[in-house]
Amino acid sequence: MKYYETLYLIRPDLEVEDYKGVIEKYHKIIEANNGVIINVDEWGKRSLAYNVERFRDGFYVLVRFCGEPDLPDKLLKDFRLDESVLKYIVVKLKDSVDPEELKQGDTSSASEANKKEEVKAKDGSK
Amino acid sequence: MEANRTQGFHARPYYRKKICRFCADKNLVIDYKRPEILRNFITERGKIIPSRISGTCAKHQRMLAREIKKARIMALLPFTVY
Repeated sequence: MKYYETLYLIRPDLEVEDYKGVIEKYHKIIEANNGVIINVDEWGKRSLAYNVERFRDGFYVLVRFCGEPDLPDKLLKDFRLDESVLKYIVVKLKDSVDPEELKQGDTSSASEANKKEEVKAKDGSK
Repeated sequence: MEANRTQGFHARPYYRKKICRFCADKNLVIDYKRPEILRNFITERGKIIPSRISGTCAKHQRMLAREIKKARIMALLPFTVY
């Protein structure tokens, strides 16, 4: 299994239930394709650097998950068709990881993020 | 350089040696999700500052350029400011 993260931007004019529904939808897609969600970080409403479809702000959601290599393609397919998602990106963080291990290490999403960034910094020093 | 400076009169203007901020500070991460850090490395117009100016080493400059471009896609950083 590979370790991925996706950051996507949800349009700001949705009702709260619809917003939750969008997040739920992508969780289901991940889980339906044998993916494991490690953590979810909702950044909340942020202003954008430039207008996207005339919106000046939007909701960012960051999801870290494990899955087989075909999972990102499936996610992207849905992102492309979804009008409530304005921007999206999927990034591979690591090859071959054990999802259970990642889940255990993840007591709080913030500390996990820092740890990973430290690893990145270490790689840079080599 | 060194020789010029000791001659005093013919001394060239003083240069501060540029150091790569990412090599100096390991806690400074290059990540598209941290636009507040990347913002230090773009101009007011949104252009990526060349390593020649910023002093960033080649390796980190490559990472930086990559992450700035990702951040632009996600509307965390501007493509242009006019």
